[in-house]
Amino acid sequence: MTIYLFIEQIINGLIIGSTYALIGSGIALIYGTMRVLNLAHGEFYMLGGYFVFYLAVTMGLAPWIAIPTAVFGAFLLGMAIQRTTIHFLFGREGWMFSTIAATLGLSIFLQNAALLLFGEQFQTVPYYVSGVVELGQVRIPAQRILIFAVSMATIGVMTYVLKYTRLGWAIRATSQDRDAAAVVGIPAERIYMITFGIAAALGAIAAAMLAPIYSINPWSGLPILLKGFVVVILGGLGSFPGAIAGGLILGVVEAVGVQVTSSEWRDVISFGLMIAVIWWRPWGLFGQKPS
Amino acid sequence: MFQPLTPFKWLGILGAIIVMLLLPMVTQDTYLLHVLILAMVFGIFASAWNFVTGFAGLKTFGHHAFFALGAYGSALIGINLGLSAWLTIWLGGLIAALAGLFIGLPILRIRSMPHVAIVTLGFAEIVRITLSNLTDITRGELGLWGIPVFDGFTVPGLGEVVFSPADKVPYYYLAFALLLLSVGVITALMRSKTGLSLIAMRDGEDAAESLGINLTRQKLQVFVVSSFLVGVAGAFYAHYITILTPAAVAGVDLMILIIAMVLVGGLGTLSGPLVGALVLTILVEFLRDLDTFRMLVYGAIIILSVMFLPKGLVTLGRRWKRPPDAAATEAE
Repeated sequence: MTIYLFIEQIINGLIIGSTYALIGSGIALIYGTMRVLNLAHGEFYMLGGYFVFYLAVTMGLAPWIAIPTAVFGAFLLGMAIQRTTIHFLFGREGWMFSTIAATLGLSIFLQNAALLLFGEQFQTVPYYVSGVVELGQVRIPAQRILIFAVSMATIGVMTYVLKYTRLGWAIRATSQDRDAAAVVGIPAERIYMITFGIAAALGAIAAAMLAPIYSINPWSGLPILLKGFVVVILGGLGSFPGAIAGGLILGVVEAVGVQVTSSEWRDVISFGLMIAVIWWRPWGLFGQKPS
Repeated sequence: MFQPLTPFKWLGILGAIIVMLLLPMVTQDTYLLHVLILAMVFGIFASAWNFVTGFAGLKTFGHHAFFALGAYGSALIGINLGLSAWLTIWLGGLIAALAGLFIGLPILRIRSMPHVAIVTLGFAEIVRITLSNLTDITRGELGLWGIPVFDGFTVPGLGEVVFSPADKVPYYYLAFALLLLSVGVITALMRSKTGLSLIAMRDGEDAAESLGINLTRQKLQVFVVSSFLVGVAGAFYAHYITILTPAAVAGVDLMILIIAMVLVGGLGTLSGPLVGALVLTILVEFLRDLDTFRMLVYGAIIILSVMFLPKGLVTLGRRWKRPPDAAATEAE
């Protein structure tokens, strides 16, 4: 293997890692705000992929219309799901477990609903951009550059929203202290709904970007959910910046690991990494050690 | 669960055991016995999962890994070393228990429920992928077949007992014996000092620790015992069904089935997992024609039971009998 091929693999790892970061940040956002571990997060990705497929392929819309529409659809779906299930469990006795169990049920429900509605054939979406970018001997398809650019831009926008907008302040205030936030007039319930919607939208963006290179199928949610979990464990559960770093690290570790072994061991490598991190730093690579 | 059982309850338990023992004498319908055998295997699994999740408060979502390790472990030892299934099912349980020790140690150091859920789920995926990738040993998704059945033996006065697919009665009694053993072990542990520490831990870890309860050792003990029981259930399943695929025994669908059973029956009760296993196994058989809807229904059952039936079926009677405020004080 030449050094160029190796560099290509690292860059590919960073590109895929940027979408893992999107998934992980959605999980981290929900957990950070509500302390709810959302096992249905992978289904937001899966359904987001189908939304893009139906808008861009079946209806033939241009990607720049289809993707934002699909993402908005996922946002509404995320809010609807929060309002109809989590909302009623949140704060009740044993809610920490019951929300995990309920989202697990939701996950399997949505997966099988998708199987019935969309069928079991694997779908794919054509490349949004064609061409190959060459940097010396390193060749990267333009589609993959686009994935990285869109993921990073989304993360940039999210960081800005969380830091500098009233919505972001409200989300952060609610996550720090729900009651204190309520005292100053922040509607916690609405913030929770919006948080779920945003997380679902992040999942749909990741799905839209990966749709041309990975297939869209009813079972695609669980593997990506587990990837997202590895990301949040690496970065520290509930930490938004941690999820970004965790995603990129996971992408690179997988790319190198697959080079060393073979692609069928990819997931074993990432879960092995997660268990190693749990042994060594349970609070995550970037999280604070709890006192 | 710590009050001494009332004579009425003792009668109930005794009655259930007698009914289960006499059933094969009334009917030897292969299909009915098969459904009951599966219900008992799931009953062991559900009870052991409930032991960890409902009693010890360790919310794991990866117990199907131990079922798969017990099943594949016992089957592979039987095929490759030619040992009797009577011995290998315990070895399968032991393999599962060792894995439980390995994964239990890191997760017990953390007190965060989501971390436990994530790591156990990830571990189970490692097991599933490894089983399907090691095609030289396990034949991967093609399925491991040729698993030896239990050796027959002769009971004086009854004649020869043969384990064959045609005759389900010996399997039925063996599954029932394993079920009684598992529930017995769990009940005995729950009624010992371990049980008291467990409940103390579940209700308040810091308070329990301040009273000198060694959290890590108690939880690890429960986790390992539970993995062992699930492993034995898996091993029995392997020698009963005699074909294994990673998707069937290590897929997350199996865990979802068990979670649905425990939630429907009642998390944190002794009889809940058994009731849930029986009710849902029979329900699956009714849904056999609607196979595509099966997992959809399970998903819906989990969502609805945590939303509307948070304490499970077995506590319904108790809640009807008492006014709500009395039930509330009891819960505290």
